[in-house]
Amino acid sequence: MNIPEFIPSCLLVALLWLLVRRRVYVTLPCFFAYAAFAVGADAARFAVHNYHDAYYLIYWVTEAGYDLLGILVMYEVLQTVLGNLTRAWWARLIFPAVLIAGIGMSVGRASIVPSRLSGILFYIAVGEIAVRFVQVFVFAGLATLVPVVGLRWRQYPFGIATGFGLYATVMLLTTTKFSDFGTRFKFLWGVTSLVAYSVAVLIWIWFFSVPQKTQTLSSKLSAPSPGDLERYKDALRRMR
Amino acid sequence: MFSIISTWLIIAWGALSCIYMLRCAWSRFPKRDVDDVIPFLYPVDISLAQSLLDPATEFGFRWKLGPRQFREAQRKRMRLYLELTRRMAHNAKVLVQFADAEKDSSDPRRASMASVLQERAIEVRLYSTLAGLRLRFWLLLRADILNSMPALANLRTAGEIDGLRTYGALKTAAAAAFVQLPPDELDSLTRSL
Repeated sequence: MNIPEFIPSCLLVALLWLLVRRRVYVTLPCFFAYAAFAVGADAARFAVHNYHDAYYLIYWVTEAGYDLLGILVMYEVLQTVLGNLTRAWWARLIFPAVLIAGIGMSVGRASIVPSRLSGILFYIAVGEIAVRFVQVFVFAGLATLVPVVGLRWRQYPFGIATGFGLYATVMLLTTTKFSDFGTRFKFLWGVTSLVAYSVAVLIWIWFFSVPQKTQTLSSKLSAPSPGDLERYKDALRRMR
Repeated sequence: MFSIISTWLIIAWGALSCIYMLRCAWSRFPKRDVDDVIPFLYPVDISLAQSLLDPATEFGFRWKLGPRQFREAQRKRMRLYLELTRRMAHNAKVLVQFADAEKDSSDPRRASMASVLQERAIEVRLYSTLAGLRLRFWLLLRADILNSMPALANLRTAGEIDGLRTYGALKTAAAAAFVQLPPDELDSLTRSL
């Protein structure tokens, strides 16, 4: 392993430390689990990197874990943003629709691009590309909502979606080009994936570097003063 | 072929979103405070909106006017309602930005009111966007020629959001959020919404 390959792992440790400080495990538990899993997966891969068979097994098991947690994080992001946005019944259908579209795109792609993998590894790889599609859909959809609905972009769920979205866009692009150019593209693919993932983790660190206020419970608020109430009632009277 | 084209379209959408987020981060707009709200609002005539969405008024037009005159009148009414939804959307955007800044307040009451204000404003933005899209679609496709003239009363709700009721709730939430303003400024706010 080269030194640059450790950069994302070091950044992930810094991110995990920041997430613990911001108590993100309370507000966004899936993303916290993802970051903790990523640190653990990197450590496990490093521990067995000299043993081919063990590394092969750990690599694919952790890839499957990344797929699963990647989907859960996207669900959490959508729930957090859309939960505050609308209570309409169709809002609950957005995530299943995105998931079906992602799986459909990945299966469609797998049917035209031959794979050297077989069995369960083939399904993990297809699942990984489906997760990338879901991540781009969620990120691009949320980015579209910012100007349309006027949402604040500097909030934790948007930061998570931006990091994943950037990485997934770059990975989909490089994977598509990889299937065009074959093994000649392998080195560039490795470098691009390393740089894109490091940038994604830096984006998360940047977003989580600023504390975000949690919603104040209404039961903890004191009653308004009589003067405030009078002014409020007066304003309402004038609006009628 | 479809798979390849859609993959490239999704990659392009993702790349454009990355550029947009970068632009947001680069050109950070200063926080909107209480002085940056009232001068930026456009008044919305709610009674006019109610009359445009009233099915009885529309029926009266249909009854009194010939088919061609009715189509012309209806297109004018659609443009007028489009203008009102634009103003609603603009006002809601200003209030969302104000509420964003207020949510960071150390006073829990102000933060809570800002949260309510933002929720209402986002609902209004959603309604105005959906209603505006439908109106533009009708006006662009000359729905009056293709089909019988669409009824404006159908735009009372869009995406399960009652537009006028939600805008009323937004005004109430704004009055609560700006209650600390001097009476003349509060009056100016209520008239500007």
